[in-house]
Amino acid sequence: MSEIASFFTSVKTTITLLFLLASASIVGTLVPQDTGLDQLRQTASPFMYRIMIILDLPTVFRSWWFILLLILLSLNLLACLIRRLSVIPAEWKGDSEKASFSFVISDPRPGSELKGVFTSALKRLLGAPSTVIGSGDGPGLVWVKHRVHLLGFPLIHAGIIVILLGGLVGLFYGFRGNIQIQEGGIGKEVVLSPSGEVRPLPFQIAVDKFTLTRYATGQPKEFRSDVRLIRDGKEALKGAILVNDPLTFEGISLYQSDYRLLGIKEVSLIFVGQGGQQSDLKVRPRETTDIPGASYRVRLHSVDPGTTAKGQGAEIVVERPGEEQQIVGVFRNEPAKLGDSEIRFVDYTPLYATGLQVARDPGAIVVWVGCGFLILGFFLTLFTNHRRLAIDMQTRAGSTQIRVYGRSRRLRREFREAVEKRIRSSLDKKEK
Amino acid sequence: MTSTDLNTYVTFGYLAWWVVYLIAFITTAKDSSILKLAFRILVVIWVVHTVAIGLRWVESYQMGIGHAPLSNLYESLVFFGWTIGLALIVARLRFGTDIVVLLGLPLVFLTMGSTFLLDHTIKPLIPALQSNWLVAHVITCFLGYASFAVSFVAAVMLLVARGSDYLGEHLPRAQVLDEIVYRSVLIGFPLLTVGIITGAAWADYAWGAYWSWDPKETWSLITWLVYSAFLHARLARGWAGRRSALLSVLGFVAVLFTYFGVNYLPGLHSYF
Repeated sequence: MSEIASFFTSVKTTITLLFLLASASIVGTLVPQDTGLDQLRQTASPFMYRIMIILDLPTVFRSWWFILLLILLSLNLLACLIRRLSVIPAEWKGDSEKASFSFVISDPRPGSELKGVFTSALKRLLGAPSTVIGSGDGPGLVWVKHRVHLLGFPLIHAGIIVILLGGLVGLFYGFRGNIQIQEGGIGKEVVLSPSGEVRPLPFQIAVDKFTLTRYATGQPKEFRSDVRLIRDGKEALKGAILVNDPLTFEGISLYQSDYRLLGIKEVSLIFVGQGGQQSDLKVRPRETTDIPGASYRVRLHSVDPGTTAKGQGAEIVVERPGEEQQIVGVFRNEPAKLGDSEIRFVDYTPLYATGLQVARDPGAIVVWVGCGFLILGFFLTLFTNHRRLAIDMQTRAGSTQIRVYGRSRRLRREFREAVEKRIRSSLDKKEK
Repeated sequence: MTSTDLNTYVTFGYLAWWVVYLIAFITTAKDSSILKLAFRILVVIWVVHTVAIGLRWVESYQMGIGHAPLSNLYESLVFFGWTIGLALIVARLRFGTDIVVLLGLPLVFLTMGSTFLLDHTIKPLIPALQSNWLVAHVITCFLGYASFAVSFVAAVMLLVARGSDYLGEHLPRAQVLDEIVYRSVLIGFPLLTVGIITGAAWADYAWGAYWSWDPKETWSLITWLVYSAFLHARLARGWAGRRSALLSVLGFVAVLFTYFGVNYLPGLHSYF
């Protein structure tokens, strides 16, 4: 039993686990993760393929042995934490006499007088003594500073455990998946990653519009999906989802992740009639449009995104009663003639499908609490310093034996030097 | 004068100053007034470097696409150079070792010099980077990296000094170097931790996943694990000197891979 306990409380175990986790993580970045098994079978030799499958190398971070390492690390952390917590109360109270340095000096003055000398000599360094033991010529003085420093270690190590627990909560009670919804369409179920399982949502997502805005340089500036969330047939929430600006409803968050270009929503044209009068003309795929004031009927055939010097344009099918239908090209730099009238190209509106990431993770808040512990723990460890200093005095035959011993968590040498300098100089001063 | 010009001057300033400092270091006594003056000049160059970064920030606002100059490889390298410069200055003030600055400075002007090969135009922010988390994440990570760089420089000196008596005589005492190796990691480790946490918070906010095992995330974790092992070996097992210096070097290799190597693997951080 004690061997098992010492295995889990050993720092050797910690260091070994840290290196094993680091090595496993390196493997996880070198072997492509989550690629299909077929692809893997094609690229690796049969022997390597078998090794990789046995060791779960294509899914290192979900493999049984990686999880086992994390569990071992958690147990190791927990054991060290418990052992550490058991000694904190004594140190908090200042009872622990553990010292990192000690020295003995003597002085002819009685302890009752030296008490005042030391108190004032150390006032600037440590403040007033927290405890004065005994009285008369054999008093003892104890200073304890920054006890809160003692909480640094437990906070840091508990923080890691809490973060791992948060991860576990997410694994069991959370989900994450993708959904692709065409503009004007409604999404009802997500494809979970990494399992690929399809899961129905408690609400429906209606995408009214997806907008891709670009900077003058052509770089994308904003991806935006305007959506309505529908619950039990009624609109429950209307809003926009942008990159770095998700929408949350009933604990489920929707994130803008990517988009697909599915086709053309409509093409805007201008029809110039015989008399020169202009009218807007919208042409949509699979939909025939009448040109107002003329006997033409038009339908979209195809769109040219600007492959030639004629610029962007569209091919449209033109019908006129009694005539054979014809396909006419309308380009930005080359309008089409239809008898005495003209059709000009203005613009086309792409039809997008927005790609949303859908996630619910009740473990995330636990993770953030753990991170808070970690940061607070580091702050206490770096910016506070627990110090304990004790001075015991014994007066015998006209001379006082002074034993000084103390302990500092950080900057030990500096603390020892500061204490020693002040005590020795306070004694020298008074003797002159 | 544009911030890009200023960066060029700063880079050559560091280089020229390094040559002067090297000569002063070899020819004058330790703690000579020339060395002290040389150090002050370094601080001035670093202040100009700071101004160059600020100027780039202002320029981006003048172009109407204002954002912190931390948005691509060029800007991140300029900032990395700045943080290493800062860490070297702090180390010099704390430990009084000119040679750490002298040996660390090539990292600064090589980092700065490599930006000459990159596109330096100010580009608008792509949607994925339009977040306030960007600034907190990048600043903490790079300050951490810079502390590790100082630790690395001291660790290399410590290892070299042990291998050669001649060099050992001319380098700071092993105890001082060991102290620099350790204290720099002590500063860098919490900064890296906060850097990883702010990155995770950002990822959670932007994609709904605080951790995705993307190669850069994973490598930052590897770096964190190595330095965590360094601290445990040191504080609980009493590792010091050569062994702890070797771990510091290993950690810095992980830092460099996190920063540069990962770019050859696909992932979320593809814009850096």
